Amino acid sequence: MQVVRETNIFFVRKLKESARQIAWVISGLMTPLLYILLFSPLLKNITHPAMNTAQVLEMFVPGILVLLAFSSGTGTGWTMVFDLKSGIIERLRVTPASRFAMLMGGVLKDVVAFLIPATIVLVISSLFGYEVHLVGILLQLLLLSIITMMFSAWSGSLGLIFQDVGGVAAVITSLQLPLTLLAGILLPISFGPKWLQVLAHINPLYYGVEASKKLAEGSIVNQSVFVGFIVIVVITIITLIWSTRVYNKAIA
Amino acid sequence: MVKAISVENLSMTYGNKKEKIIAVDNISFTVYQGEIFSFLGPSGAGKTTTQRILTTLLPISGGTADVAGCNVLTDAKKVRTKIGYVSQLGGADPNATVHENLELSGKLYGLSKDVTAQRIDKLSKLLDFHELLSRFVRTLSGGQKRRVEIAQGILHEPKVLFLDEPTTGLDPQNRANLWQHIKKLRDNGMTIFLTTHYLEEADALSDRLIILDHGKIIAEGTPTELKKKISGEAISIELKNSRDAEKMKQLFNQLAIGNVIETGMNFTIYTSKGEELVAHIFEYTKEHHIELANISLSMPSLNDVFLALTGQELRDGGKEGEQ
Repeated sequence: MQVVRETNIFFVRKLKESARQIAWVISGLMTPLLYILLFSPLLKNITHPAMNTAQVLEMFVPGILVLLAFSSGTGTGWTMVFDLKSGIIERLRVTPASRFAMLMGGVLKDVVAFLIPATIVLVISSLFGYEVHLVGILLQLLLLSIITMMFSAWSGSLGLIFQDVGGVAAVITSLQLPLTLLAGILLPISFGPKWLQVLAHINPLYYGVEASKKLAEGSIVNQSVFVGFIVIVVITIITLIWSTRVYNKAIA
Repeated sequence: MVKAISVENLSMTYGNKKEKIIAVDNISFTVYQGEIFSFLGPSGAGKTTTQRILTTLLPISGGTADVAGCNVLTDAKKVRTKIGYVSQLGGADPNATVHENLELSGKLYGLSKDVTAQRIDKLSKLLDFHELLSRFVRTLSGGQKRRVEIAQGILHEPKVLFLDEPTTGLDPQNRANLWQHIKKLRDNGMTIFLTTHYLEEADALSDRLIILDHGKIIAEGTPTELKKKISGEAISIELKNSRDAEKMKQLFNQLAIGNVIETGMNFTIYTSKGEELVAHIFEYTKEHHIELANISLSMPSLNDVFLALTGQELRDGGKEGEQ
C-alpha cells in the first residue's frame, strides 16, 4: 500500500537522523538507568519493614516505563520546529506523499526510541530480581507504544503551531509535570488524599499507568487494562487525526 | 501557446475578523509553457503567498488557479506530481548527505532506484555539484546548497518549477552562475516561475514579468516593454543637504519639468533631453551653492518603472516586512 511505503520512507529518514545524534542516543539510554541506579534505592526504606530490591523494582519499573514513553514522544516538537525552519516541511508538503505518512514516520521512530531503552530497563531490572511476565510485558509495551505515539503526534503538532522552540518547551514542560504527577508514575496515587485521586481520574494518562501496572504484574484480564486501552487508543486516534490536519497546513 | 499556469481573480486574506490582511488582491495572469516568468516586488508584496497557493501549500480565499492543467484546490495531488518548488528556506536536510537528500526526493515522487540514480548523476553534473554528493548538506556553502535544492526540486522532471527568491543570500558571482543554470533549464523546455526583489535578476532572467506591490499587479510585460513605458533617460540627483530641496524644486519649476519624483533628498527626472538638462542642473547648483552628493544619467531600469508607478524605490521596500 502507498501509505505504508511512504510511512516507511519517512520512518527510515527519521531513524537515520536520530541515530546520527550520538549524544542524544546515549542520554536517552542513560536516563532510565540513572533512575534505577540512583532513585530506586531511596524507595527501599519508605515502608516498614524495608523492601528488598525486587519489591522496589516491582513498584517502580512500570512507572519508569511510562516516563520513558512520555519523554520519547515529547522530544518531537523540538525537531519539528527545526524541520519547519529549514524548509523541510514545505519541501515535503509539495510532494504528492501522504501527510499521514509524514506524521507517522516520525511517530513510529519515537516508538522505536521508546522500545529500545524500555527493553534495556526490563533486562537489567530482571537481573536484579524483577519478575517478568511475558504476555503482560508485551501488552504493556504495546500500550506504552501507543502512549508514545500520542505524545509524539501531540508534541510535533505543537512544534508546527508554535514554530518556536521556546513556545513548545514552555507548553510541554508545564503540562508534563502535572500530567505525570497526577498519573501516579513515581508513587501510587492511592497514597494521596481524596481530592488528588479525583484530579487523577480526569487525567487520561492515569488510566494508562493503572493498566500498565496491572499488566506488569501479569494480570491481563481485568477492568483496569480494558479501560486503559480504550482511553488511550481513543485519545491517540483523535490526536493523530488532528495532527494530520495540522501537518496539512504547516508552513514556515 | 500552451498555458502552464492560469490564475483568475485570485485573492488571499489572512487574519481574523478584527484584523484582515490582504496578501493577494484579486490578481489574474497567465504563464506560458517554456518561459521564465517573474514576480518582482518588495517584501510583503504577496509574491511568496501567491507561490504558496500555486504549489498547494496555502488555501485560496477567492478566485481560481490552475497549474499544468489541474486546479490547485480540487486537484491538489495531481498538481503536486507536476510541479517542483524551491522555497526561500531551501528545504535540503542539513543533517543528511546531498545524495540522501536527492534519493529521498526520488522516493517520494515514486521514481525507481535506477531512474533516481541516473538523474542524480545527470543533475549533479548539470548543476556542478557532482563532487559534493557524499558531503553533508550543512557543510555546503550557500551557493552549493542552493544548487542542490534546485536539483531536489527538478529531480522528478516537473512541468513547472517554482523558485522563491532563488538567489537571496548569494554573492554576485554565485548569482550570475545560478542565472545561467536557470536559463539552461528553460532552454530544456521547463516552465519557470520565480519571485525576486532584485531588479537585475528580473531583468536578466525573465521572458515576462509582473511587478507586484501590496498584493496588486501594477505592471506586466517583457522587461524591454516595461522599460519602454518610461520614455527617454533617467536623471538621479542626490542632495548633500536637505535645506537645498526647496531651491532644487524652484529650478524644476523654472525649467517646467513636471515629471519629478521626490524621495527625501533624492530626485529622479525622466526626460528625453538628458545631457542638456544635466548641464543646466550643474550650472544652477553652482550658482546657488547647492552641494550634490550624486548625479547620474542612465537608461531607465526596472527600478525606475517601479518608482514611476508607485513613487517609491523598490530597493527601500525590501527592508520592511521581511518574513
